[in-house]
Amino acid sequence: MNDRVTSGRLALGCAIALVYIFLLLPIVIVVAASFNAGQGLKFPPDGFSLRWYVAFFTSEPFMDSLRLSLAVAVVATVASGVIGTTAALYYVRHAGRWREVFRIYVLAPLLLPEILTAIALLFFYYQIGLGTRTVVGLYIGHIVVCIPFVFLQVTAALYNLPPSTEEAARSLGAAPGVVFRRITLPLIKPGVINGALFAFIISFDNVSISLLLKGIGTTTLPMQVFDYLRWGFDPTTAAASTVSILMTLGAVVLVDRLVGLRTVRF
Amino acid sequence: MTGANRPWLLALPVLAVVGAFLVAPYLNIVLMSFRVPSTTQAYAPGFTLDNYAKSLFDWLYIEALLDTARLAVIVTVSCLILAYPVAFHLARTTSRWRGVLYSIVLSPLLVGVVIRSFGWIILLANNGVVNQALRSYDLPRMQLMYNEFGVILALVHIFLPFMILPLMGAIQGIDPRLEEAARSLGAGRGTVFRRVILPLSLPGIQSGCILVFILACGSYITPALLGAGRVHTTTTMVVQMLDQFLWPFGAALALTLALFGLIAVWVFTRLSGRAMRGMA
Repeated sequence: MNDRVTSGRLALGCAIALVYIFLLLPIVIVVAASFNAGQGLKFPPDGFSLRWYVAFFTSEPFMDSLRLSLAVAVVATVASGVIGTTAALYYVRHAGRWREVFRIYVLAPLLLPEILTAIALLFFYYQIGLGTRTVVGLYIGHIVVCIPFVFLQVTAALYNLPPSTEEAARSLGAAPGVVFRRITLPLIKPGVINGALFAFIISFDNVSISLLLKGIGTTTLPMQVFDYLRWGFDPTTAAASTVSILMTLGAVVLVDRLVGLRTVRF
Repeated sequence: MTGANRPWLLALPVLAVVGAFLVAPYLNIVLMSFRVPSTTQAYAPGFTLDNYAKSLFDWLYIEALLDTARLAVIVTVSCLILAYPVAFHLARTTSRWRGVLYSIVLSPLLVGVVIRSFGWIILLANNGVVNQALRSYDLPRMQLMYNEFGVILALVHIFLPFMILPLMGAIQGIDPRLEEAARSLGAGRGTVFRRVILPLSLPGIQSGCILVFILACGSYITPALLGAGRVHTTTTMVVQMLDQFLWPFGAALALTLALFGLIAVWVFTRLSGRAMRGMA
């Protein structure tokens, strides 16, 4: 009886370990492929080389798309950071009768399927004459899908901040602007930064929106990888993917150093 | 200035941006779905119900919709089966590796969908890692992608964290003393799981399943990459319509899929709600 229980637990332990391996496997494989010396994929690999990184960093299209991706992600982070934070302040401190409607409204970009949102935006841009000749539409699309992530993080931070802190400052004579700058903002800063981190990662990795809204002749890094993958295998895409993974990882480590990620809520 | 006197100013940016670039485009796409398709311009004059008739009654599109639904159900159930033991372990463990294991669960979320699909392509392609390993042992080649298997496997990987996280939340909320009480009253491990843990974690199962099902129904990138034109879901068909400039029909097809997803979730919520009341 006892034997059966132990062997059962062992089997369960192995199953759990396998799921963890399953979760990491494709990511590890991409990183490994980027260091492979050979032209095609080989198993076992041909040896270690950085030639695909050289190819990536000297490739005009890849560098252009990396620059555009970073620019879009930074703009989307800042803009959705401001919009999401003000929305959270309104929702937690001021919203009245319509607060639940307001919440759904702000979360709508997250609740609706992203590819459908991209299609709707594409049609809309053509209807209003914006089209995809410029990348303005791409920037706007990224801002819209990032807003809910900032909103959720800042809302959580605001709920942990009792309104009495702000009331105390106000009753001691601080003007509303001063209360916000000196009391509210410093205390919800971790929430705002975590929200910004989410926004950055969501925008930097986004494909569905970029797929349909990229301007003519311009493309983002994940889109470039997507296009390369559709027309065959090129190890440069593995190097591009690894650089992209390192960039998101860098953002996470940076935020962890700044505010600590334990405050993140999922 | 920051809203003490005029708090609605705080709501203004989000109302304006989401209103102009989400609500208006969605209203526009609904309108578009009733337009007459045209290959030379966005749409021809007049309104019609033909787009919906074609989406709902043409066998080609019904089949794609059913395939999408079947794929999404298989992905959801596979995620649930794989996620439950992991979520349970993660919720209950006191190991000092807990933080590391938790980051392993979260790490796929930091890597874009394209890159994760790429990893599966390297593994599953006809001359991929798995097939090369098979060949070195003189085993026959296996068709692992450009079919539903590859798409399902990659989708399960991509959505697994979305199942683990709500399940973990639900299991963490179950008081461990309930299990101890059931055990001390003579229930075996299996009985404790069936009668205590499983019923109490149903809300987590419900939210995880809804999330994964909806995400799987709307997925486009992974079916496009791992199916490579040989697996047809409604989303790949919609994008095809866009390429052919049949916008009104593409709009109707996309909205049919969204509506279908909503109805499926509504039915599922009703059924699982009844199951929860029955078991509690």
